[in-house]
Amino acid sequence: MATTLTPPDSDQTSVPPAKLPPGLETNAEKAESRRGFLIGLPAYAYLVLFFALPLAIVVVYSFATRSTTGLTVLADWNLQSYARLTDSLVVAITWRSLWIATLTTVVSLVVAYPFAYYIATRTPRVRAALLVLVMIPFWSNFLVRTFAWRLLLSSDGPVTRILETLGFANPRLLFTPSAVIIGLVYGYLPFMILPLYASLERMDHSLVEAARDLYATGWEAFRKVTWPLSKPGVIAGSILVFIPSFGAFVTPEVLGGTGTTMLGSYIGRQFVGTASDWPFGAALSVAILFVMMLAAMFYFRSGGKDL
Amino acid sequence: MIEERDVTDLQTAVEPTAPATTDAAVSLHGVTKRFPGGKGSEPVVAVDAIDLNIADGEFFSLLGPSGCGKTTTLRMIAGFEYPSAGSIRIFDEEVGLKPPNKRPVNTVFQSYALFPHMTVAQNIAFGLEMKDVGRDETARRVAEVIELVQLEGRENRKPKQLSGGQQQRVALARALVNRPKVLLLDEPLGALDLKLRQTMQIELKQMQEKVGITFVYVTHDQEEALTMSDRIAVMESGHLLQVGPPEEIYDRPRTRFVADFIGETNLLDATIRDHGIAELRDGTQVRLDSHEPAGTAVTLAVRPEKLGLVRADADRNHDLDAVHGTVARATFMGNAIAYEVRIDGGSEPFPVEIRQGNAPGIEHFAVGEQVRVRWSPSSASVLED
Repeated sequence: MATTLTPPDSDQTSVPPAKLPPGLETNAEKAESRRGFLIGLPAYAYLVLFFALPLAIVVVYSFATRSTTGLTVLADWNLQSYARLTDSLVVAITWRSLWIATLTTVVSLVVAYPFAYYIATRTPRVRAALLVLVMIPFWSNFLVRTFAWRLLLSSDGPVTRILETLGFANPRLLFTPSAVIIGLVYGYLPFMILPLYASLERMDHSLVEAARDLYATGWEAFRKVTWPLSKPGVIAGSILVFIPSFGAFVTPEVLGGTGTTMLGSYIGRQFVGTASDWPFGAALSVAILFVMMLAAMFYFRSGGKDL
Repeated sequence: MIEERDVTDLQTAVEPTAPATTDAAVSLHGVTKRFPGGKGSEPVVAVDAIDLNIADGEFFSLLGPSGCGKTTTLRMIAGFEYPSAGSIRIFDEEVGLKPPNKRPVNTVFQSYALFPHMTVAQNIAFGLEMKDVGRDETARRVAEVIELVQLEGRENRKPKQLSGGQQQRVALARALVNRPKVLLLDEPLGALDLKLRQTMQIELKQMQEKVGITFVYVTHDQEEALTMSDRIAVMESGHLLQVGPPEEIYDRPRTRFVADFIGETNLLDATIRDHGIAELRDGTQVRLDSHEPAGTAVTLAVRPEKLGLVRADADRNHDLDAVHGTVARATFMGNAIAYEVRIDGGSEPFPVEIRQGNAPGIEHFAVGEQVRVRWSPSSASVLED
């Protein structure tokens, strides 16, 4: 058997394979990576010019000095502005920003989760329609929409009226932290819905069936299977809502009052408002950026371990 | 067929929940599932008034092509779908409208549906934890079942770190650890490669005998069903076509669909001439185990391997029926040789598939050779349609 299977011209295999000149494939790989860089160049250039460079300017300014007339002196580099971060006013505003952003995130999560679940379990056509509905608010200007809330929440507006008929005595919403949170939840809800939807849609529904099959009630199946598996979406959505809420500028300016100044508005005031202290505003911005980066890193690390 | 269906519909309409008390593990009575159709269209009937009793300890297969309603039937037993009509009883307890967690059954899913965020041990312990079995008892039973499916040492792996075959075992263990009264399996071997599938078929059957639990097994693979089952129900378009042991389903198919779906078969048109005698299209008269009146047109089903080939001039064996033909194709298959023989004695020639084992002493035939095709009268089934 074995002998008949040997091909008669078996010496053909001993022909040496054609040799490539050494280093040729490295050159080819280099050329390819060069092409990749060229394709990415416009984006690189844009980001360097309009993000990295301005950021560097902010960092530089944070070490500069404010002259008595309110102008910025790019000399006498110092840490004065950073030292002021522990002023009681700054600490109070930071705490307020933190709890308003936290509450906004929690409310968004509670509102968005059932809706995201609902979208994820529809037929593809209904799903597409609902996702478009989620995006529609983005088609109009954010500032305009925030001013619309001002009308809705005003003391003779519909929301106040409804609360009055429901028996709330003298409800006051506009210019309170509640109004700011309502406005922030409204503005950033899509950022919570979309990642939640993405993670829920990816989930294999037979996992829920398996949990139910293994004697879990609907609630237990959610707590033990759906919730942990949607955690990446929860984390992503929470970051996407928390970060802009923490640094929010428009919403607290339009819907908040004197007692609801948040970090975003406070920083804004250092640049365009009465305070006019660019180095301090820059130092605040750098500090927030640093804390946010730490928080995001922590979030991704802890989220990544679970998966 | 159609008349029978009408009668069943009528019965379920008159007495929707009055099944006879049985000692069956699973008992379906007039079970129907309708899914809403698209806009303005009729609802789709996935399962149409089926009656079925599955005995305790039985390895029972629901076999049919995709879309025949077998999976929907299984899902109704599991509780993932509620029947539109009819009654589902598990050990005489009506469960038709109970949620899955209130039924004494467990499921092995086609995709395994292992919880990706839990380890093997956590996956297996899930059902016991939900039932509050207690920590010691849970640990003991998990260890026991891990040994049963030979996954010792992999308790702390995540499902992703396991091979397809190992994941399949985890899925099985996760269901068996709860000691269900009935285990439902939805094409559990579908994702495995052929070799592994064949090994798992034997293992599953052995495991079922060992634990003594009733298995309801959904598959579209006829070989799988024939190998493992005590009984098979063949389904098509929401109907049960035939229910019986594998030998009966294979050797005595009742309908064209069953004969064709299970294995390969030759369908021969014939007309009953006399008591127990039928005439084929080529005019040959053959004997039959049938009591149809003379003149009836029937279809005979004969398996390729139950046909024998001899030279046209060979001695006639009067125990066997024979028709004359010419070898049109011969395919060597290793363990057998498949022939296509054209029966050309009559006005309409027709092909017959024959499979002869490749063994010493069995003659080989070449294309163009004149042959006689022989079979014993008992190996031909008369079909109902």
